[in-house]
Amino acid sequence: MKEQLLDILNDLRPDVEFEKEKKLIDDGVLDSFDIVSLVSELNSEFDVEINVMDLEPDNFNTVEAMLELIVKMQEEG
Amino acid sequence: MDFISATFVVFVILLSAVYFITPQKAKWCILLLGSYIFYMASSVKLLFFLVLTTAVTFVCGLILGNINEKQKTYLKEHKNEMTREEKKAFKSRTSGKKKWIVAAAVLINLGLLIFLKYFNFIGGNINSLLAGMGIEGKIPHLNLLLPLGISFYTLQSIAYIVDLYRGKYQADRNFFKFSLFMSFFPQIVQGPIARYDQLAHQLYEAHKFDYYRVTQGVQLILWGFMKKLILADRLAVAVNFVFDNPDPHEGFVLFFAAAGYGLQVYADFCGGMDVARGVAQILGIELALNFERPYFALSIEEFWRRWHITLGGWMRDYVFYPLSLSKAFATLGKWTRKIFGNYIGKKLPTFLSMFIVFLLVGVWHGSSWKYVAYGIWNGTIIVSSILLEPVYEKVLKKCRVNTDCFSWRFFQMMRTFVLCSFGRFFSRGISCMTSLDMMKRTVTNFNPWVFFDGSFLELGLGYKDFYVIFIFILVLLVAGVMQERGIRIREKIAEQNLYFRWLLYIGALVVLLIYGSYGPEYAVGEFIYQQF
Repeated sequence: MKEQLLDILNDLRPDVEFEKEKKLIDDGVLDSFDIVSLVSELNSEFDVEINVMDLEPDNFNTVEAMLELIVKMQEEG
Repeated sequence: MDFISATFVVFVILLSAVYFITPQKAKWCILLLGSYIFYMASSVKLLFFLVLTTAVTFVCGLILGNINEKQKTYLKEHKNEMTREEKKAFKSRTSGKKKWIVAAAVLINLGLLIFLKYFNFIGGNINSLLAGMGIEGKIPHLNLLLPLGISFYTLQSIAYIVDLYRGKYQADRNFFKFSLFMSFFPQIVQGPIARYDQLAHQLYEAHKFDYYRVTQGVQLILWGFMKKLILADRLAVAVNFVFDNPDPHEGFVLFFAAAGYGLQVYADFCGGMDVARGVAQILGIELALNFERPYFALSIEEFWRRWHITLGGWMRDYVFYPLSLSKAFATLGKWTRKIFGNYIGKKLPTFLSMFIVFLLVGVWHGSSWKYVAYGIWNGTIIVSSILLEPVYEKVLKKCRVNTDCFSWRFFQMMRTFVLCSFGRFFSRGISCMTSLDMMKRTVTNFNPWVFFDGSFLELGLGYKDFYVIFIFILVLLVAGVMQERGIRIREKIAEQNLYFRWLLYIGALVVLLIYGSYGPEYAVGEFIYQQF
């Protein structure tokens, strides 16, 4: 799953070293355009329904947080 | 009661003194009382609208909070009995009920804003449209007054309601405390647009007197006054001179007026924010940051991330994301991908949301077509710059332009400054057509000799004023560079010894008194954003 996520992220922003970044949202590394594209990709790739309520900085600041969100979404069905 | 007045200074001193000597449990009551006194000192008649929005938001919030609580309890109690599908269906049912409450609150609060701010504009346009078809339009022009801060507190109330719908936090159950959140005096005039989870608890908590914090607040207030009185109100003289009668002016003079207006708005609004944040800081409350050195931005998109941050954040969370991630926009995305291919098709729905956001930002500033044009100007630049990014990159690569050096970043900064300044023709021009004409004459009637023939000294400002403007911009620039490098100027000042600190405070006060814009030739008073 992590590999899949990293592929999506690297595709979206090849200029960012995602595994090193710890504040992707707080530091403005990912902007709102990136977030919208990312959420659409995640929803279709992992068959989840991340919606506007889940767009909290804490859910997208790191790769690990994103993975956690995806797992939570998959568990909730 | 204006921020820039002796009455306000006395009011803040008295309120702070009473706040700090009041017993802990009642401190928030002093803030509420003070906020309502401040509001009534500005407009007693229009207080009704603030109270109405507060009451509607509070009641709707309470209903939403109760539904959230019931949903949570029910799901907890029936955790093991319910299947995933049943849980989903249950959540969907409660979500349906909540949507009605949100719709009611938004309709009333936003309806009030739209009626008071846009009724005459919409009515006038409908009348003109009907007249064009040979029908007499009968929508009357009403004498409507805009309640102080309505554009700010309405957005604040909508954020609270939508956040409750999203289950972000619990509803406030104390009407008077909630009234304080809606009316806190430093930020009711022109923001920052606060979020309930960031501000409310700070207002309700008791804060003790803290000498260090008070000095930090006073420094910020002083800095805000300097921006407003030394730069904004001085620039306003030349800006008003040109914009009120633009016909005799050409080329660089027109550009100076537009760029000057941009700087004036920055100094005025950012100065006002400094005063608001400084006053709140004295009382132990941290208001959200609204500016992060916007003129250091390398693109218009970045500029808008640094300018009026709380409005941008509001638009992102309550308009841009919900639109971009809606089912309708997802369907639109599938359709545009089929027609325009993957690269553009995927981006088009997001661009549409962005365009809608900029139109709303434009219209939020006022009821006039020029603000619609202002929104279109910014939206078009941002969308086209993202769309054309691959082309730029190819051209830069082909021309072997080094983009990793100061000169390139400086060029980007200047480009952003010029584009932003051209946009200001719309927001300050008398009308849309006048703005377009001024833009045209800026680029067609180019006269570089205006720098040497004294043209700038005929705009209502003397050469001494220009020196003051130039030096203050230089000071802002140096302070900005330091802040960009992570240096916290006020903390650095606090580290210095007592004599130096007081020399600095007294020096700043003297500079403010000598070089501030006072007297009949300056239009000191209202902040620009206070009128929105």
